[in-house]
Amino acid sequence: MNLLEHVGKYSLLMYRTFSVPQRWKLFFKQLWREIEKLGADSLFITLIVSIFMGAIMAMQTQNNIENPLLPRYTVGLVTRDTLLMEFCSTIICLLLAGKVGSNIASEIGSMRITEQIDAMEIMGVNSANFIILPKIVGFILFVPILVVFSMFSGILGGYLLSVATNMISPATYVYGIQYWFIPWYVYYSIIKSVVFAFVITSVSSYYGYYSYGGSLDVGRSSTNAVVNSSLIILLLDVLLTKLLI
Amino acid sequence: MIELSNVHKQFEDNEVLKGIDTVFETGKTNLIIGQSGSGKTVLLKCIVGLMEPTSGDILYDGRSLAAMGKNERTQLRSELGMLFQGSALFDSLTVQENVLFPLRMFSEMSDSDKKKRARYCLDRVGLEGAYLKFPSEISGGMQKRAAIARAIALNPKYLFCDEPNSGLDPLTSIKIDELITDITEEFQMTTIINTHDMNSVVSMGEKVIFIYEGEMGWEGTKDEIFTATDQHLREFVFASKFFQKSLELQTK
Repeated sequence: MNLLEHVGKYSLLMYRTFSVPQRWKLFFKQLWREIEKLGADSLFITLIVSIFMGAIMAMQTQNNIENPLLPRYTVGLVTRDTLLMEFCSTIICLLLAGKVGSNIASEIGSMRITEQIDAMEIMGVNSANFIILPKIVGFILFVPILVVFSMFSGILGGYLLSVATNMISPATYVYGIQYWFIPWYVYYSIIKSVVFAFVITSVSSYYGYYSYGGSLDVGRSSTNAVVNSSLIILLLDVLLTKLLI
Repeated sequence: MIELSNVHKQFEDNEVLKGIDTVFETGKTNLIIGQSGSGKTVLLKCIVGLMEPTSGDILYDGRSLAAMGKNERTQLRSELGMLFQGSALFDSLTVQENVLFPLRMFSEMSDSDKKKRARYCLDRVGLEGAYLKFPSEISGGMQKRAAIARAIALNPKYLFCDEPNSGLDPLTSIKIDELITDITEEFQMTTIINTHDMNSVVSMGEKVIFIYEGEMGWEGTKDEIFTATDQHLREFVFASKFFQKSLELQTK
């Protein structure tokens, strides 16, 4: 299948997805379930990865500052800005493309091959709207929380490193993370993550929805979902950085 | 009543259905039989609207499926019930929630009435004790029963069953067949069953159509099937050694 065919099928699926839910009560019930499953269940992995990455960034910055004219608080400043500008949006979303994307593609793919989607269509339910819309809306609503949580966790990771080792004093690190703070970077990171959340959920849903065959094919769809949403995230990252900074 | 008029279906160069003409009557169990790959499932999917025929028309009590707009199709869908080969129950919902699903989506009943209706349907198919179980916790036969309960929840006018006995033992298959026949009579539905199980044909085929390589091979009743002269049909019907032996013993 060529690229244009994929784009066409994806657009048609999104057209069906973004229609008014047939039953709002059921939509909100599904939405809550998806927020819990896709969002809240990702908090732990976000915490762990962010703390370690924050600590590693601080350590790498400290180890690579050779110029004696550069102040020590640069470690805090560089750690903060790297986390805010790239890590907490792009890298965390790449990580979530793996976790959330494969979850969505395999869940919808399994529903497809076991005819659960056909069963909904027979009943007259808009299956794309019923299954996919709560996932997209739920994850888009929760991803800013994950990003802000990642920011705090990453900065905390750097701080814990300064407390645990004598590479940099905690006071200098804290001074660095407060120095020349630009609030726009936080908004920039959240805007990017919302776009990436849409990419992860919609692309993964697309691959799951059009799965066919057996469990091997569902596995293949899941892999395609992760690989392609990651590539689109990287492409959009370049575009959004150019547009927003 | 469902009428099929010269239904064709083609996938690129492969013509799967080559002009099917027949009538499925109300209050009867109509069977579509044929070998694997003969086009039965494609025909059933065309009838229920999951696939669009390449040409030809399908009439639901005189209403042309091809000429229906979006709203009419949605209305028609609420009149359909379908039992899938693998049951197609929603994994994340309990048996009762599965039956409640179409009611919650389309019925204006109060919550308590919906629950009563779901329990009535489950009781009707003999699943009194399985309301709160998940599909993975019940047997294949019980899953089929739950799927039947879900299919009849909205009082459909048309019931479709794709291989209702696949994966079931002979005794459970007979029970499922009896249940479908009883429900068809009780609710006065037009029922179409896609099967290659000869036991089902013998027990409930009030009208049988035989599809051979995408064409209408033969049509008649369960009694006429044994005297039919169509070679392909005879090969299909008497393929089972057990069946042949039984007939030999009966004729002796």
